[in-house]
Amino acid sequence: MTGILQTQSGNGEHPTAAVLVIGGGISGMQSALDLANAGMKVYLVESSPAIGGKMAQLDKTFPTNDCSMCIVSPKLVEVGRHRNIKLFTHSEVKSLTGDAGRFTATLVRHARYVDVGACTGCGLCEIVCPVTQISHFPAPPAEGEKKTRARAKEKRIIRGPGLPQPTRSQKWNFSVDNSLCGMCGGCFKACLHGAVSWEKKQVAVIDQEKCTGCGACFVACPEKFSAIAIGQAADLEKSVGAAVHARSQLLKKEFKGTGQRDCIRCGLCVITCDKVMNISALKMVEEGIEAGVDICQVCGACVSVCPVNFLAIDQVTNKVPRPLLNSFNEGLNGRKPVNIFYPQAVPRVPVIDEESCVRLNSGACGTCASICGVGAIHYDHREEETEIAIGSVIFSPGIEVFDARIRGEFGYGLYKNVVTSIEFERLLSASGPTSGTVARPGDAKHPKKIAWIQCVGSRDHSCDRDYCSSVCCMYATKEAFIAREHDSSIEPTIFYIDMRSFGKNFDDYVTRAKDHKVRFVRAMVSRIFEDPISGDLELRYVDGSGARKTEMFDMVVLSVGIQVPKASKELAGKLDIDLDRYGFVVTDCYRPLATSRPGIFVSGAVKGPKDIPETVCEASAAAEAASASLAEARGSLITAEVLPPERVIDPEEGLRIGVFICHCGTNIASVVDVEAVTEYAKTLPGVVYAEHPLYTCSQDSQERMREIIKDNRLNRVVTSACSPTTHEPLFMSTLQQAGLNKYFFDMANIRDQCSWVHPDDPVLATEKAKRLTRMAVANATAGQPLAEQEFTVDARLLVVGGGVAGMTAALEAARQGFGVFLVEREGQLGGQLLQLQRSSDGRKFADFLGGLKEKVLNNELIKVFTSSEVVEQSGFVGSFETEIVTPSGGTRTLKHGAILVATGAEEHRPEIHGLGTLNTVMTQTDFEAALENATSKDWQHLRVVMLQCAGSRDVDHLPYCSRVCCNHAVKNARRLKSMHPEARIDVLYRDMRCYGLAELDYSRARREGINFVRYDPEENPLQITAEEAGIEITVVDPSVRLPVRFHPDLLVLSTGMKPRDAEELASMLRVPRNSNGFFIEAHAKLRPVDLPSEGLFMAGTAHGPKSSTESITQAQAAVARAATLLSRDSMKMSAIVSVVDPTHCAVCLTCVRACPYGVPFINDQHSAEINPALCQGCGICVAECPAKTIHLGRYGDKNIRAKIEAYSAS
Amino acid sequence: MLPCTGRIDESLLLTAFENGADGVMVVGCLEGDCHYVSGNIRAKARVKRVYGILDRIKIGPDRIRMYNLSAGEGSKFAAYANEFVEKVRELGPSPINLVRAGQARAVSQKEAT
Repeated sequence: MTGILQTQSGNGEHPTAAVLVIGGGISGMQSALDLANAGMKVYLVESSPAIGGKMAQLDKTFPTNDCSMCIVSPKLVEVGRHRNIKLFTHSEVKSLTGDAGRFTATLVRHARYVDVGACTGCGLCEIVCPVTQISHFPAPPAEGEKKTRARAKEKRIIRGPGLPQPTRSQKWNFSVDNSLCGMCGGCFKACLHGAVSWEKKQVAVIDQEKCTGCGACFVACPEKFSAIAIGQAADLEKSVGAAVHARSQLLKKEFKGTGQRDCIRCGLCVITCDKVMNISALKMVEEGIEAGVDICQVCGACVSVCPVNFLAIDQVTNKVPRPLLNSFNEGLNGRKPVNIFYPQAVPRVPVIDEESCVRLNSGACGTCASICGVGAIHYDHREEETEIAIGSVIFSPGIEVFDARIRGEFGYGLYKNVVTSIEFERLLSASGPTSGTVARPGDAKHPKKIAWIQCVGSRDHSCDRDYCSSVCCMYATKEAFIAREHDSSIEPTIFYIDMRSFGKNFDDYVTRAKDHKVRFVRAMVSRIFEDPISGDLELRYVDGSGARKTEMFDMVVLSVGIQVPKASKELAGKLDIDLDRYGFVVTDCYRPLATSRPGIFVSGAVKGPKDIPETVCEASAAAEAASASLAEARGSLITAEVLPPERVIDPEEGLRIGVFICHCGTNIASVVDVEAVTEYAKTLPGVVYAEHPLYTCSQDSQERMREIIKDNRLNRVVTSACSPTTHEPLFMSTLQQAGLNKYFFDMANIRDQCSWVHPDDPVLATEKAKRLTRMAVANATAGQPLAEQEFTVDARLLVVGGGVAGMTAALEAARQGFGVFLVEREGQLGGQLLQLQRSSDGRKFADFLGGLKEKVLNNELIKVFTSSEVVEQSGFVGSFETEIVTPSGGTRTLKHGAILVATGAEEHRPEIHGLGTLNTVMTQTDFEAALENATSKDWQHLRVVMLQCAGSRDVDHLPYCSRVCCNHAVKNARRLKSMHPEARIDVLYRDMRCYGLAELDYSRARREGINFVRYDPEENPLQITAEEAGIEITVVDPSVRLPVRFHPDLLVLSTGMKPRDAEELASMLRVPRNSNGFFIEAHAKLRPVDLPSEGLFMAGTAHGPKSSTESITQAQAAVARAATLLSRDSMKMSAIVSVVDPTHCAVCLTCVRACPYGVPFINDQHSAEINPALCQGCGICVAECPAKTIHLGRYGDKNIRAKIEAYSAS
Repeated sequence: MLPCTGRIDESLLLTAFENGADGVMVVGCLEGDCHYVSGNIRAKARVKRVYGILDRIKIGPDRIRMYNLSAGEGSKFAAYANEFVEKVRELGPSPINLVRAGQARAVSQKEAT
């Protein structure tokens, strides 16, 4: 089936203002949001069943230890609800034709078997599905042959410690339908309790006194008669499978904790095998259960319905069971064929697995469809193709981890207690398979000594993974750190080559980890041996002194590297974009987001290993790059929501509250008596309507709610359902669609807070649900209509700083159609790049800068102010005013909607080792300049020593790592070597931090004969004398463990990078900088180029040390973020803001002091005032105000008191 | 539910006791991790002040406590809730509730006689 979603692929004039984003990880999500919020239509294609990617699998994130799921889930929800992002999950891109600006893509949506529109995500299907294994399905009958059931030839009797103890609990009633009975006597023979009486040619009769309700008769009755009827079985009207599940659940509850190990002859396993799975491999016998092991399809249903764990999967079959593993949990636990990818998944809609679902393979079962309350399950779904028209493509399919089995010496896959780092993330995760308990997979024991082995599948030529994976040093440190937080008796050890903690605040994090007893050992582990009895692991390695060591550990975590999955490489082939030999997308260092095919852009780790903030930054940058050439058509394909006018509530009008108590399928209703809560709600003051929908959030319920609001003229609405975090926006928008102010609403969470946490106490859970509903009703009663204020937006951008980041940003913003003011303090544009000579691939920076400068100066949308400085700044997002002093000494006021800070950094020049006094001592930048003219003979046999971390990672100088120096040294060393192969170069380093693909240059440098010698300021310090007479350096070379002495002709210092002075600017903009002078981002992980105040962004080295390519990326990212504001005519602000009532304001300044964002000010009316555009809505001032004259939207004293009073009222 | 623990003040906390609470838990972000920079630190100070007040009016400071949690620590929240409920159970009903119950009893006895 092919549906054309977009036929207007441009009328020949304008490009298509839509972008296809491939990959729904954090990269694709960020790109999609930035594009959709800047007026572009987005199609987001994800191959897995839900968006979220690798980040959703992580437990915490470095270096802040933020909970990964907590910070990513708001993004998931935002993408899922965005009206201009069309999600294609469980889908793939089949082909792409056309050219930049006018592509056509064909997407394939794989059969999901669940209707995404109808499903409410209640998860009931997954709960009732009895299948846990990948079955060996019986072969389908040959054509023309009748379908017959196989008969068992090999039988095994499964016995417990004692004989079966038949239970009558929750018993079903079996009776014979006389009109159907075939008088065959099958039931009589099957009954083990003598409850069936039968004689030849007579109908059978069941003696209810003797019957235990095992159902042996029901199973024995031939299908052609089907004469045994079941009575008193809950859910039987749905299906036998549903009824089995219902009884099994009740029996499980009853036998929980009783230690029952004998068969209770409930008959559920036999009924399931025969009536649900159509197999008939099981039979009840005197001693237990008889299994036909040769015909068993090994689906696992009998085991999962057994209430007392009497059966085990390997007992019922002679085949090898193939458990169905949860891929989101890295196979550490099982799952069902119908499965919601992970609890917070968006869309929270299951997929039915074609490989293991019994219904899809043999036609039996079908239990999930029978139980689904909204009829969302369709076994006849087929794959669908859709064609879309787009202008650009962003390729961000993400990465997978290295297959650790390839490094056989570590025993992964053989030794159970050797796990990969991503598996360990799942073990740490509170929503993981062990609920966050650190337990060994082998025996669930709590490990004490855990080892991390670094560079497994990274920096490893033997398995063709020569590159560095960039993130492993930090994630291993984090995992070790967090493991100790879970259990302080854990002793973590990290075995590593170089500690590559090169990012912002990463070194501090490693230091903190060391203080928290994480042990770091610089050594490569050569082998692991397992003690087969204890499961403990023996690690062998050579330590720094050269001694061979063996050490025992309880558990080993392999820090696996990242790689491009095969499928992504194939897709790149279809899209016709160039990859390098490892599968990473090839880009140019000046155009870091563009692939080899025009119109296709790339972001994330598929372009080279990187961490989350770098990925987020690239994702925004790719959004910018992808939309710049489509800017003229911006807004042409998006739709805005049209709402009916809001009904003004007459103050005289009495309260008319409607209450909706949700069943959530059985999620709530199986514990909480929702009918009782509904009846109770009707008694509450003001309530005129109450009902209890099966799924309040389903499409039809929402439509109904809209009608009910109108028909009953409701003026308040309350739902008692699930979490407001996920569902409140939905219900609020329904209120708006019904013409009611959305703040006339409150929500009680009776699922998470009642049915989920008190499943064993339904009476109290119901009482609690009543109480929470009562509180929500009271709060809704106190509700006020709130208006979201609208502000017009000035579509111009102020860029402060005219280096490579500032110029790139200015140019890109102009391409996006925005006016730009570019203010540079110096007399000429160019910044620090003017001091540098060549890019990593040998091209001259001067050529690049020249071109860039020309474009900036000739662009009519860009107004450049050199030798100018910002002196005053006021206003707020969308309408700022900035005063600058121009070279003439006069001031100018610039009006603009957003600000981009790109004030840059410069080379640090400490007075150490003779720098500044000796000609023979210079910085890397000096050396790079000198190299340009290094053609004379003097250079041919030059002896050069490069000293890394000279004044970096040093508390007396720059305490942080400058990130670029190792690569800088390698670049310059290789250039000298290529010019003069006889020159001798020794690089003295602490850790070579050639992260990502730069590792390849580092290993090339080593192969080319450049010598690298490691030192350590504490354990192996350098002795340096640098005088006019010459330079002498002595250090112990760890590779030979002997002191070596250098007498270089030149000493080149890698001194690092320090931010330019921006103190005044920071205080004018009221944005924070860290102790090193770099600006602090709004969120270290997910808002890397946003400053904490709305409308302010940053790019380049003002944020932290980085390369020119990284600065260009950040500049584009910052423009993308600014475009989400500048592309709108007006902005709506949250209505939840603090408002000062001036009548009682005593101008005591308490609010001014209390506000963490510095928003309140004293206006000319002598009252405090809070600008709603700047207020974040935390309510701190409300609580602090001694006059109680500040009010916060729906969190006023009135609301909170109403809730408290309702709490205790009865 | 509040946007930030920084929103609550002493009078609201005391309102809860006035309305019959035997104990009050305030749960905010981890220190240093406040979504609104410093709201939880202010809340901590206010909770401390309420300690003092509860102590002076003989309700006892142990009936209020502030906890810090991240959004991902559900099981820890449950453990804290159980721990606090246990503590309050040991303390028994708040004197306010005892007095009110006493008065109610006295009134009903009076009516009976």
